[in-house]
Amino acid sequence: MNRFNWWLVEAVSRSLDPEEREAVNGDLVESGETGAQALRDLLGLVALRQAALWKDWRPWLVLVVLVIPLGVLLSLVSRMMADFSAIYSWMYLNNWTWTYLTNAGARTDLVGYAAEISLRYLALFCWSWTAGFLLGTFSRRTIPVNGSLFCCALVLGELFEAPQYLGHWLILPRPLGQGAGSNQSGIYALTFYSVMFPLIIQMLLVVLPSLWGMRQGLRLGVLTTPRRTLLWMCVIATVTALGTENSVWWQVRTWYVRPNPTPVPHLPSLLTIAFLGPVGYWLAAGKTRSEISNLEISNLRRSK
Amino acid sequence: MLGEFEYLLLTAAVRLGDDAYGAAIRQEIEAATGRRCSIGALYTTLDRLEKKGLLKTWMGDATPQRGGRAKRMVRVNAKGVQAAASFYNAIAHMSRGVSWAAKRGAT
Repeated sequence: MNRFNWWLVEAVSRSLDPEEREAVNGDLVESGETGAQALRDLLGLVALRQAALWKDWRPWLVLVVLVIPLGVLLSLVSRMMADFSAIYSWMYLNNWTWTYLTNAGARTDLVGYAAEISLRYLALFCWSWTAGFLLGTFSRRTIPVNGSLFCCALVLGELFEAPQYLGHWLILPRPLGQGAGSNQSGIYALTFYSVMFPLIIQMLLVVLPSLWGMRQGLRLGVLTTPRRTLLWMCVIATVTALGTENSVWWQVRTWYVRPNPTPVPHLPSLLTIAFLGPVGYWLAAGKTRSEISNLEISNLRRSK
Repeated sequence: MLGEFEYLLLTAAVRLGDDAYGAAIRQEIEAATGRRCSIGALYTTLDRLEKKGLLKTWMGDATPQRGGRAKRMVRVNAKGVQAAASFYNAIAHMSRGVSWAAKRGAT
């Protein structure tokens, strides 16, 4: 337990400036405190440091403009995708029969659904990564608080089923098939599909990629102007696609809010734009990082 | 005018002289007051006093008993000494004639 507490001390102290981290960790070791006492002390310091940062207006702006909208939106999209794929998961996993493969028509359907669900999952992963990247880049030292609030917005939104109610207000599509009167109400009567499955999707495709994106955003070094432009164009396109694809665009495409049955122009899916954020990062910052690590290796060799 | 904890910190740093750094100051304050001194209060107060220009801090050497980590060394400057002296004089002046100060003078 004590070793675990000291590991936590090391982890929590990473939110401090490098010099302060060095001095504080040294003081804690020298004072001979137990891991629990050291952790309590350190948490007090981190809380005071964070409180001081929040006296500025910028963290509040990030909270209002990015953390809350992106957290709620991703919570909604995650729930929507979980509900969409739950139908097919139940159909293929709970009712598996080899006819799905032996019958040509059923096989085509299976491949088609698998491809569509994979594309949606990948898009959700990329949206979440990009949202995390944005938070990491703009929050910087306030990331412990902003990151925690973002995760709270995701998880609490899911646990309290906020998306179902917010959906009405935010003109976002309501999760598919929810409610006793829906065609798929039998599937949601199963606890796994109504509770566990959405949480698993959210954990794997939203929370983990967001945390990864935050990490990459925090580590983003100085980029040349063309690279920075490329990166931010890709990130803005991805976030715009996240907002658009899952609200008005989606509703028009699926005729969800169409007041009358007049034909509407066919609108393409924006799912593929979701990949631009991570791809842009890879193109813009990937080479820089490999250059930095090569430089570090050559410096290390020289010092030896 | 200094606060109580700021005065304690400045005084501890002056008493320690060249050996004044985070953990030593903390120990000195705890020994004098008999109360726990949190590392959060210590480091935020150090920053505040440095911003006020009453002391100077810099990163010192690493020692084995600190797991090879450097110390944040502290030196109180002339302005800090003056501020601490003013605080002490104000407290001493204010305490003249009060029962607890008289008792202390008698013992």
